[in-house]
Amino acid sequence: MSGRTGWTHEEIKAVADGDLTRFASLSRRRVLQGGLAAAGVMAMPIIPGPAKAAVGGDLITLTWEGFDAIDSTKEWATANGVTITNSSMATQDDVQAKLIGSNPVRLDVTSYNQAYNKFYADELQIINALDPAKLPNYNEAGIFDAFYKKDRWFWDNTLWGLPFCWGLVALVYNPKMMAKPTSYKDLLAPELKGKIAFVDDNTGTWPGLAKVAGVNSYPNVTKEELTTIFENAKLYREQTLSFAPSNGDVVSLFVAGEIAACFCIGTNITVDTARQGVVTEYVVPEEGAFMWSDALCIPKSSGNIDTAYAFINEVMGPGPQAAIAQRNICGSPSRKAAEVMDDATRALFDYANLDGILKQTPLLGIPPRESADIATYDEWVQAYENLKVGI
Amino acid sequence: MNPRERTGLFLAAPTVLYMAFFFVLPAFLLFVYSFYRSKAYVPIPDFVFDNYARALTSKGFWLVVWLSVKVGLSTGAISVAASFPVAWYIVYRTRGNALLYLILASWITSYLVRIYGWRMILGSNGFVNTTLVQLGIIDQPLDFLLYNPVAVVIALVHIYLPLTLLMLISSLRDVRPEYLEAARDLGAGSTTTLLKVIVPMINRGLTGAFMFTTVLAAGDYVAPQVLGGTNSVTAGLLISNQFRATGNWPFGAALAFVNFAVFVAVYFAFTNLLRLAGLAPNRRIH
Repeated sequence: MSGRTGWTHEEIKAVADGDLTRFASLSRRRVLQGGLAAAGVMAMPIIPGPAKAAVGGDLITLTWEGFDAIDSTKEWATANGVTITNSSMATQDDVQAKLIGSNPVRLDVTSYNQAYNKFYADELQIINALDPAKLPNYNEAGIFDAFYKKDRWFWDNTLWGLPFCWGLVALVYNPKMMAKPTSYKDLLAPELKGKIAFVDDNTGTWPGLAKVAGVNSYPNVTKEELTTIFENAKLYREQTLSFAPSNGDVVSLFVAGEIAACFCIGTNITVDTARQGVVTEYVVPEEGAFMWSDALCIPKSSGNIDTAYAFINEVMGPGPQAAIAQRNICGSPSRKAAEVMDDATRALFDYANLDGILKQTPLLGIPPRESADIATYDEWVQAYENLKVGI
Repeated sequence: MNPRERTGLFLAAPTVLYMAFFFVLPAFLLFVYSFYRSKAYVPIPDFVFDNYARALTSKGFWLVVWLSVKVGLSTGAISVAASFPVAWYIVYRTRGNALLYLILASWITSYLVRIYGWRMILGSNGFVNTTLVQLGIIDQPLDFLLYNPVAVVIALVHIYLPLTLLMLISSLRDVRPEYLEAARDLGAGSTTTLLKVIVPMINRGLTGAFMFTTVLAAGDYVAPQVLGGTNSVTAGLLISNQFRATGNWPFGAALAFVNFAVFVAVYFAFTNLLRLAGLAPNRRIH
């Protein structure tokens, strides 16, 4: 040791291991030269190391019924010690109702209808920006172009949500109770009075009401057009049995034989009615239909962000994606899922022509919160409530 | 304060404090909110009457309040009228509580299960229609049994009748049989005994049972949505939409307090009606 200015590796390790006898022969200068290094080594166990993601524990999710992906991610959850607690939303508005205010409910993963993108991210600021590096299953090669980093999910160079399913909102009917309709106007037939239902879902119904009134500028309709839309909607209210509170209630109405058609609803409910022995079918009327797409996101109230990322990434894998599509009769944004899903599910949509599908049945936004000329979201809500009340 | 009063205060304090912190204070805060403005889920502190003006001039709001009041009053009246004879029988004609337990057993099932159960009973292909068709009494199912306010009231009476029964039993137990015998001895018939002796003596319990049921039924919005058809929008649903869908908490708060004022008015109207009819003497009977 003497004659040298620095400590050797062995000397530092010895001191860290508690062997201080070597100090006896050291000069003060040498002690100071090596002491810091030795202290550092001794302190290593209590100095935090580089951060690493810790996946595991509880994961609280809020999704639409059937879109929880619990079954398809069971192996992953078991392998990582993740316990998923899922609850179902009745409408998209259930999500922001839980997340706004100074004391939001803890949610680790939830989903937003693509129309709510900037509302959640920019206006209410209730969701986290996502780090694409933590979501390797969401990549350009593996995701259809229509769903990869498009403005519903990615803007200002920031990713906010991962589209994980999509489908059609169209007219669903019971072929045993009515002939196949070609237009929404077919629902005005006298024999269908009291035999149709609306699902009480704003973004799932308003576009349809606009279409049947001949207004094609939704969500940016003028205030005069809004009046026209809801005057026309009264004709359909006359035929309506119920404004069902949820998709599940519409299924119940179909199964009980109470209704012959639902004005506008996700076509995936045909699966749910079939499970209960009642065949329903969907049709894209001449006025058109529109597409829905939900994206997984991580709310700011999340208490387990690392696991949330891992879960979302797992859901975007081909297996879970194919399972979600098959269970819900919906589309998947994943190319690889389209390759592994069964023939019947793959045949639902022309995956080779997704751009064409989107052109015919576009993704629509929601009315603006504030505007002098365009009917605002609040005005739509008020008009819709008046329709339901009957004025 | 004497020791008994101090003991009473001490025992009541936890509940009073709980209600103060978790009801009175939040209600006060909600009242303050009702004077704020709102901009897309962001309440803006202010002191304006715009929300109340909008609520009071909203035709749709008054229509649903009227529907809610009708449903509430109907449910309250039918529940009280239906449970009074049963309460009488349990208090004066039997020694056991078997009948009471039988009626209370319906509370063991979930509220939603009961609501959907009524849909299965009254629906087009439900129990009633199926039976009537099979018996040959009707050719086609009766559409009018369900998806209207009557179906809502039927279901709500089923839900709240046990509550009114319990409250009436509690009140009737304070009317000793000796009072009824004395009335008979003085020549009072059944109706006179009911109107001059029993109802005045239980008027507070009667009022409580009626108003409790009325307010709960009027505020219900699940049963109207599931069973009410297009008459499914109630004040509760309108108010909740302001908090859920539009994020206009100040307006929702104003709607809630206007609704509250309506039910306070209903309460005073009911109690004054009882007093004018001579059924609610303004004194403590026992």
